[in-house]
Amino acid sequence: MFEHVLILSSYLFCIGFYGLITSRNMVRALMCLELIFNAININFVTFSNFLDSQEIKGEVFSIFIIAIAAAEAAIGLSIILVLYRNGRSNQINEFNLLKW
Amino acid sequence: MNFTDSIRNSILVIIEAGIILGSLGVVSLSNIIYSAFLLGFVFICIAFLYLTLNADFLSAAQILIYVGAVNVLIVFAVMLINNPKEIKTKEPWNISNNISFFLCTSLFVSLSFTILKTNWSNLYSIQHSLNILDQMPSNIRLIGKNLLTQFLIPFELLSLLLLLALIGAITIARRDEFIEADDSETLDSKEESV
Repeated sequence: MFEHVLILSSYLFCIGFYGLITSRNMVRALMCLELIFNAININFVTFSNFLDSQEIKGEVFSIFIIAIAAAEAAIGLSIILVLYRNGRSNQINEFNLLKW
Repeated sequence: MNFTDSIRNSILVIIEAGIILGSLGVVSLSNIIYSAFLLGFVFICIAFLYLTLNADFLSAAQILIYVGAVNVLIVFAVMLINNPKEIKTKEPWNISNNISFFLCTSLFVSLSFTILKTNWSNLYSIQHSLNILDQMPSNIRLIGKNLLTQFLIPFELLSLLLLLALIGAITIARRDEFIEADDSETLDSKEESV
């Protein structure tokens, strides 16, 4: 059970990482970032359930991660909205505003 | 006891199959609105996984925050942003995708090899012998006690961070009236400068 869930969370992390570096659409990259956050949360909850079931500090920490992920999603989506409004595109490789 | 174990295992297998197939669909589907809804499905499956891991408060928080807020926000962004002509375009498969696929597969293989090789049962038995004596109190009460005693300063900082993020998001995404007045002009000048 324990290793099972750990392998599941590492699978989720790897597939989120793959999607983050290969996707061209910015919204899809943000979705893959959320997948990575969820993999980390599963890891925290698993370890706190199996090793620290008395005072579950891992679950408290994953609540912090969930809140930060919500803030990150709001900021990221608003940045994407502004970029789309200025450039009429949502492809990652067409944005080089900060390049030169 | 055995019966409930078998039921628990079958539920776990269903949840994990949902997570695995759903996350594959999020990454690989070409239509992005399908992957946005599949992302919500994956979040719900993860909430059920938390339920099987005895984390009931966290599962409720997952459904409330991720499915209710983040996923709705993503679906709104997809509907606001997506070009109808770009919706069917297949992303080209090139050499960098091959390289990153190889990298991620090797990362996954090495991670699972490490997980399987590590002797977790030692750690588990030591901790479990310490913990099994006491009656486990309520989950929510423990989280509340930890949040308001030991993690009080991060908790308050987190509320401040959420407020700042909301204000920042509104400030960034607000359409400025001066920019809106000569939006076409700035676009034209930008194209000329490029």
